[in-house]
Amino acid sequence: MARNSDALPEAPAATAAPVKLRLNQVTKTFDSEQQSVEALKPVTQDIREGEWVVLFGPSGCGKSTLLNLIAGFETPTSGEILLEGQPVTGPSNDRLMMFQEHALFPWMKVIDNVKYGLTWEPGYRYRPRLRREKAMELLRLVHLEEFAKSSIHELSGGMKQRAALARALAPDPKILLIDEPFPALDALVRAKLYLELQDILVRTNKTIISVTHDPREAACLGDRVLVFTGRPGEIKAEIPVDLLRPRDINDPRVAQHAGEIAALLKEEEGESP
Amino acid sequence: MKLDEGKRRKLIVFGFYLFLFLAWQAVFEIRLVPDYLFPSPLNVGERLWELGREGMLWPSIRATLYRMAIGFSIAAAIGLAVGVLMGTSRIVNSSLKSLLLGMQTLPSAAWVPISLLVFGLSERGIYFVIIMSSIAAVAISTSEGIMHIPRIYLRAGRTLGTPAYAMPFRVILPAALPRIVTGIKLGWTLGWHGAVSAELIKSSVGLGFLLYMGRELNDASQVLGIMVVTILFGLLLDRFLFGLIDLRIRRRWGLLASA
Repeated sequence: MARNSDALPEAPAATAAPVKLRLNQVTKTFDSEQQSVEALKPVTQDIREGEWVVLFGPSGCGKSTLLNLIAGFETPTSGEILLEGQPVTGPSNDRLMMFQEHALFPWMKVIDNVKYGLTWEPGYRYRPRLRREKAMELLRLVHLEEFAKSSIHELSGGMKQRAALARALAPDPKILLIDEPFPALDALVRAKLYLELQDILVRTNKTIISVTHDPREAACLGDRVLVFTGRPGEIKAEIPVDLLRPRDINDPRVAQHAGEIAALLKEEEGESP
Repeated sequence: MKLDEGKRRKLIVFGFYLFLFLAWQAVFEIRLVPDYLFPSPLNVGERLWELGREGMLWPSIRATLYRMAIGFSIAAAIGLAVGVLMGTSRIVNSSLKSLLLGMQTLPSAAWVPISLLVFGLSERGIYFVIIMSSIAAVAISTSEGIMHIPRIYLRAGRTLGTPAYAMPFRVILPAALPRIVTGIKLGWTLGWHGAVSAELIKSSVGLGFLLYMGRELNDASQVLGIMVVTILFGLLLDRFLFGLIDLRIRRRWGLLASA
């Protein structure tokens, strides 16, 4: 996608927008017969509408656990997760997760994958034409309209991620959860996809939570970066990134923020034996 | 000129069969064994041609394939249903698994005596042997396919808002399909064994019957010829029908490294 010459509006000041997701003293402990492992110390956070929050940290720091709790794949050991004031119970497409591996269904064509999430949506149910139109609109948005009838295995890695994005946007989720965007792609494709992702998502004013262990990715994508340390997982710092979007991952200002984030992590790791 | 890998391999395989054929003919020429016990490939071909002309061969091939079509369809349907139950219920799985694994170790021919006792010389007895020979393989693969679905498909299905009632047909079965097809392919082969074994004893038409008849007539050419035909049709369906479906699914599901 071509980069937009006219800059997109700056992310709204965090205090202005209403709270979309509230995490209240959320913890997670995994119990097995031999031992119980504390994966997440209490987390309290408000995530506001239109905000992009990045959970950043080394592997095993609990950031993915938190994402799974929000998605509803796991239940918190204590504390509560409120989406627009309503407690979260189980997975649903109002908190839609995009996975590390694209997780597109290989038994369906690209367009059927994109339509899939609309199948049981009020307003789309029993309306195949409406579903088709919406899916085509999204495929145009991610520049895959020519590949609507293709099979998944015919797409390149970057195209698969764009198709997965279109699929995730179809049911118009209240929050988009992204687990490690585009890990398996080469640097050039990634840089381009970061721009596209920001362009599309900031335009739709989606509330987003994404997870990464790459400080540059965190600085490039987040309005706010929550720095995790392990184990047990805990939020050690919170870094706002107030650069205009879309941000290029190779922009020196992004690199500067990335440096700060990386330094924080190093500091924390230095403390532990 | 260099041949590419695929063409070279085909040439080697062709050479191997040519060698086999010539070696067979050569052993025949030495006459180590009397020729009524060890016919030449030409004798075998001749006998098959005769059988074909007498109208014996084709109806028998058709009869065996028809029995397989019926018997194996029933086996696949029941096997799938049992496999789905096993894949979704731990209790059903642990109860049935050892029984089915045991059934799978039983040679197909071992089902023939009980089939004779229960069904006599009827067609139903042949279906019974086919079904019992192949059902376990289908059920086991289906249950394992369901139990080993990549978790990510289940999660993707749920986060995309799939209601619980729609999960089996929209997500679970399609995701398990590659293993299910492998089980169907294996089940077909085992059912084929069963069909020919049963026909040896309780039929008046079919490939197994022609084998039996060849033995009764002391006609080694016919026995060998029918064996070759049985192998050919088994291979044809296994490799070219189920094999190609299997390959296509594996490619689409991204289970093959695209080379």
